[in-house]
Amino acid sequence: MKLNRRELLERCAVFGALTLASSISFPTLAEAWDEAEKKKQPTPFCELGPFYKREAPHTSTLRAPGDAGMPLTVAGVVYNTRGEVVPDAKLEIWQTDNAGHYDIEGYRYRALLMPGAKASYSIDSVMPGHYPSRVCQHTHYLATAPGHKPLITQLYFATDPVFEGDPAKNYTRDPLITSIELVRPVVIKGAPGQIMAAVNFDLVMETL
Amino acid sequence: MRQFTLAALILLAASFLLAADKPVATLQLPCESRYQDLSPSGNQLAVHCKGGALHLLELPGGVEQRVFPPDQHSHTTVYSQDGNWLAFGFEDGTVEVVSANGNGAPKRWKPSSRRIDVLNFFPDSKSIVVGPLGSSAEVWDIAGAPTLRAQLPFAFGGLSDSAISPDGKVLVLAGDDTVLRWYDTVSWKLLKQNKDFLLETFSVSFTPDGKQVVAGGADSRISVLDATTAKLLRQTPPEPAAYVGGLLVAGNRVASLYYDAAGEKPPHVLIWELAAFNSPPTANTRLLSCGNRVHDKLWVCYTDGQTLTVSQYE
Repeated sequence: MKLNRRELLERCAVFGALTLASSISFPTLAEAWDEAEKKKQPTPFCELGPFYKREAPHTSTLRAPGDAGMPLTVAGVVYNTRGEVVPDAKLEIWQTDNAGHYDIEGYRYRALLMPGAKASYSIDSVMPGHYPSRVCQHTHYLATAPGHKPLITQLYFATDPVFEGDPAKNYTRDPLITSIELVRPVVIKGAPGQIMAAVNFDLVMETL
Repeated sequence: MRQFTLAALILLAASFLLAADKPVATLQLPCESRYQDLSPSGNQLAVHCKGGALHLLELPGGVEQRVFPPDQHSHTTVYSQDGNWLAFGFEDGTVEVVSANGNGAPKRWKPSSRRIDVLNFFPDSKSIVVGPLGSSAEVWDIAGAPTLRAQLPFAFGGLSDSAISPDGKVLVLAGDDTVLRWYDTVSWKLLKQNKDFLLETFSVSFTPDGKQVVAGGADSRISVLDATTAKLLRQTPPEPAAYVGGLLVAGNRVASLYYDAAGEKPPHVLIWELAAFNSPPTANTRLLSCGNRVHDKLWVCYTDGQTLTVSQYE
């Protein structure tokens, strides 16, 4: 028999495993507990970098047919720290091409996304390249939403050769990686000859 | 990004050695040093040693005046415009202002928990602009105990660079959000904005007469703006596959340092006539180790081993 939160609390109280410090009712306590557990930690900040460009196109397709590099999809949901989705979030995403070049003159590998009511997003891209002034492959994010602090961060990939298979140990090889949370596992999908990488990267924004 | 401001000033100054440069001082460095900070007063050199120590040398004699040990290694270092003060910005968000000649107690405070990327003294040395990574710009009164005078936010991100008019009345901020903002330094009212730039501006400076503002950044152009209206007046053509990492205005010229966007080629310098950008720029790739405007002249230095020569560009 699986107990719900209120039943579990009542049972704990009966057997002396729980002592209430105030006169709060069990239903209220159960609700507060549930609420507390929904809280999420904000996505760590990671600096903007020099190649942000305003007015990126509204698109989720960054990869053009024939582009070099491992095809990559990144998907996720935008939450606030209460665990609620942020339906009016705006995401700006940019990265290098697979050769490690940012498009400064144009908008290749730059996108503006409006995740909408479900706050979910997905992009179709390629695995970004390495370039001399940065250690690790990365994708930049700028998330903005009314009532929320702008979130500036970067996504890193656990398969990056720099990590030598152990990102938990080696992520500090890139001094800009502020948290292991930003290094995401990569799932390789598809048949030989048509493989692609898939990454999940949820964002958690702080409210103002 | 802000890291290259220091290196930028160093490198771009190299260009001015093309024509007549008059040696001001030749001295032995106390250590291996790739870059130095030259005081705007022309009487001191801050030598950043490879091991992290900082030595202050008197100019022109080269006599050592102070040594800061490696554990005080800062991320950002800047002199006040009168050369009497030196400010350090640290990785942990601490700022320290010391007397360049060693008199008086240092002022040390922690305006942020984030790395200090930008520091800029007001002309009277009584206030300083502080730019923590990815955060609002701050202006601190440092005449007495450091006191926050203003907090100036961006749409997102932090401060890339700042410029203060020669009379100290106007502050221009270049933000990560690509907007240039003009502030009144008494009321802190936002006077003007320029949103013409799609990419970030990394370096901004007033012309010596205060009538124009010169900006350069990721768009690989030098832009001249009217200091009163904030309107764009003219721009250089873009330098292909490069970005402007720093600029220095001296007399009627602006020297600009271009970095290869891919980071594969060495930086190069072009010198433009400020009045019109239709004349071809002068190019130079000579690598120098510091530079500044001293008594309205451009001073530069270059190293040969541990011998450093400071020259004045005529």
